[in-house]
Amino acid sequence: MSEFTYLDKPAQRVDGLDKVLGTAKFVGDIKLAGMLYTAILRSPLPHANILHLDVSPALKVPGVVAVITAEDFVDHGNFGWPVKDAYVLAWKKVRHVGDPIAAVAAETEAAALEGMQAIQFELEKLPVVSDMQHALDADAPLVPLEAPLGQGNLVNTHLVRNGNPDPIIAACVNKFEKTYHFSHQEHAYIETEGTLAIPGPDGSLTIYSNDQSPFITRDNVMMVLGLPQEKVRIIQPAVGGSFGGKDDINYQHTAMVGALALKTKKPVRILLSRKESLIASYKREAMDITIRLGADENGYLQAAKVDLLADSGAYASMTPLASWRATMHAAGCYRYQAVHVDAKSVYTNNSYSGAFRGFGNTEAAAAIEQAIDDFANQLGEDPIDFRLKNIVRNNGEKLMTGNLLQQEVGLAECIEWVRERSGWDEKRAKYNNQSGDIRRGIGIACYMHGSSLGGEGADYATTTLRIEADNTILVTSGLTDYGQGSRTVFALVAAETLGLNYDRFKVGCTDTTTSVESGPTVASRSTMLGGNATKVTSQKLLQVLNFAAADLLNCEPAQIVRDGELFIGPDEEPVPFEKIVEHAREMNLTLYVEGKWEMPKFEWDFEKGEGTPYICYTFGAQIAEVETDLITGETKVIGIWAAHDSGTVIFKQGADGQMYGGIGQGLGYAMMEEMKYDQGFPANINFRQYLIPTALDMPEMDIKFVQVSFETGPYGAKNMAEPTMIAIAPAIANALYQATHQRHNVIPLTVERLATGIEPVRKASPSRIRKGLGLK
Amino acid sequence: MKINFNLNGSDVELEISPEQTLLSLLRDKLGLFGAKQGCDVGECGTCSVLINDELRKSCLMLAVQVEGCRVVTIEGVSSPQGEPNDLQQAFLDHGSVQCGFCTPGMVLAGEAILKETLTPTRTQIREGIAGNLCRCTGYQQIVDAIEDTAQQRRTAVEEK
Ligand code: FES
Ligand code: FES
Repeated sequence: MSEFTYLDKPAQRVDGLDKVLGTAKFVGDIKLAGMLYTAILRSPLPHANILHLDVSPALKVPGVVAVITAEDFVDHGNFGWPVKDAYVLAWKKVRHVGDPIAAVAAETEAAALEGMQAIQFELEKLPVVSDMQHALDADAPLVPLEAPLGQGNLVNTHLVRNGNPDPIIAACVNKFEKTYHFSHQEHAYIETEGTLAIPGPDGSLTIYSNDQSPFITRDNVMMVLGLPQEKVRIIQPAVGGSFGGKDDINYQHTAMVGALALKTKKPVRILLSRKESLIASYKREAMDITIRLGADENGYLQAAKVDLLADSGAYASMTPLASWRATMHAAGCYRYQAVHVDAKSVYTNNSYSGAFRGFGNTEAAAAIEQAIDDFANQLGEDPIDFRLKNIVRNNGEKLMTGNLLQQEVGLAECIEWVRERSGWDEKRAKYNNQSGDIRRGIGIACYMHGSSLGGEGADYATTTLRIEADNTILVTSGLTDYGQGSRTVFALVAAETLGLNYDRFKVGCTDTTTSVESGPTVASRSTMLGGNATKVTSQKLLQVLNFAAADLLNCEPAQIVRDGELFIGPDEEPVPFEKIVEHAREMNLTLYVEGKWEMPKFEWDFEKGEGTPYICYTFGAQIAEVETDLITGETKVIGIWAAHDSGTVIFKQGADGQMYGGIGQGLGYAMMEEMKYDQGFPANINFRQYLIPTALDMPEMDIKFVQVSFETGPYGAKNMAEPTMIAIAPAIANALYQATHQRHNVIPLTVERLATGIEPVRKASPSRIRKGLGLK
Repeated sequence: MKINFNLNGSDVELEISPEQTLLSLLRDKLGLFGAKQGCDVGECGTCSVLINDELRKSCLMLAVQVEGCRVVTIEGVSSPQGEPNDLQQAFLDHGSVQCGFCTPGMVLAGEAILKETLTPTRTQIREGIAGNLCRCTGYQQIVDAIEDTAQQRRTAVEEK
């Protein structure tokens, strides 16, 4: 591997200082003169017709300035992609608890709340679809206003057709079949959703929103408010975490504050309380995944068949895409002769589901990795040996989707590293012979994860660079940084490419008027797309600098050599960067460049279920060691070892942090995080009922990046943020299986489940929910 | 009503309403936005401050309760010129900051631990920050930063 000057070295994140000092401004920290506060009337019921809605009493409450409903938007505020089934404020009916119905702007928070409570409305209860397994029954009530596929509550289907697995499995001496269940998960970003709209004198809007994809937010605001592009500017301030969770709900909020700001000609802010956020925000979809596998007499996998059902909840949101990603990974990182996958997503009244780190592969990998473990146990093989026998290893090998790998694979190396570091062989043998109530277990899981959007959409990004008056360099990207560290990655790539000190680079917040549209910031695509765009842009700027240097030094640009920030011509007199810039200005050269990078094209045929879903994959393996009490179910994860084939690491501490943080969310998913719906009513509406890991729940983690360089990535980098979370839940489940010899087939493995083996009944409290929503 | 207390090293006298929380006093009245409101009911720790060197959740305290106390917020941790202190620098060096929403509370939780002992074990550090939720980092680099600062402060004390 070549030596880098800035990459994979200790570096401070560009936005770190403000954050440690406490001076970073999040939406809730911005207060403006005359700013109005809002309260949103949200549905206390999971499914109902809106029979009557009269907002006029709210306007009589002192301090209330304006109230809006669906009538205040173009086409009643209808939005949503890929299925246009959602509304900014409910139109005709409400479809989940927390569905917004009207929004009030007032001079104080108290007046907004009082105004909201004064709204007169009547809801007619409709039968609730609470079980996704029955959402497609002939007599199931219809959740959307119109069935998008003309088949009741069916949102979408996806498939993989790689050969024909049926006869192969039938002929196999070793067969396996099981269904695994996955619950809803809440993003639990520590900052709740917030947006602030500021009206301009010309009827324009500047909106600060803590979202992930400001350009999509802008397009939505333009659409539902009927505004031209130049009238809508979205700025992303510091964002307190998102993990996929701050998109759709903020599309609604930005439209609401936008409409209210235009109506009142005042700045208007929405900031959700934690309860409101837990009740109203979208979740990771629940899934049921059935896996059938066949292996020959020597334990080599031959074929797989997977059926997948996803609970999309009240709206499609990103579930059609997340279930596609789940489909593309459902049989995992193993070699098969043939694979079929069939996936469906359905509407229910269980909140709604959308993007969440891992985007479907969190569930898919957790299913196949438990299945592989169960199958290894059934065959009496060590789970690691079984995996090493069956994983994809080489460039050119066929993946489960039928396409051929076009890259080197670091998976085996990842597995060997975690095996060695964790002391697997010894512990595994030891824990096979235990007695007493306190037991230990050690388990492994692997993953592959397709990089970037793949077949989900057009993949491109644009970076801009501008040399400022003080010779700092401003980097902008249409890809946003909500905590992952992508801005730092861009600054490091620019520093490396230009050969200029990292300190020179400043990276702006994404702003739709100064940054260039780059698609959504999802799918862990920032490093590859934004990194490559930054590299291309830096190369362009370097050409300009070399041109100026050549002019100054009376030589050809190709003759310029560099020593750090010094430019050196044939007469060997070193000239500092500042001098070159000064000369470039004298030459009237433009010291601003834009550069776009586009992913090479490849095709997935959605109808036929064939093709190439992704240009490349990341791989990894994680091991968890647990200690559990057979009687009480109390379980502690006592060790985690994780190796990720990331390609080149660009931002070292950031990469480590993505790994640790991803594992933290995966551990929560495995052990405690469960959003339960009781006839559509959420059972967890605060952080006492919805637990996320604390520092005491996390063990010390031992991690490694196996840097198998990937040519197409910037300096050989692939992606990071999502895949790091997806193996830990099955690894923990597999460790618990070794400890207890019980497979519960459900994630999360909560204390109750482990103690009793019985599905816990979780009751929701409609009256607490009403209170949580501010209703009387 | 009026209260008197020491805020980030200066004595202050303030007019407050009896039902006002300390968090609301800091954010809404004093414009000190470093303490965040992640939940407002004592479940997340983003509103953490030090009261007489002890870590407290300011959303759970009434402003009147700090009468006569020493209150330190994140704004009082750095130097007046805005230079990060050693612990804040350690957060930067160890990559302990991602989205940064928990960071002010975490830094104060770290300070509370270090006020108690300069030889904390990693488990003690984890106990000390257990009331502060972080969704981004998995906590490991935060523990590293606090541990490292303890070491540095110990060395500084020993050198004296
Ligand atoms: S805001 Fe005080 S603990 Fe969450
Ligand atoms: S850094 Fe995001 S919550 Fe801690």
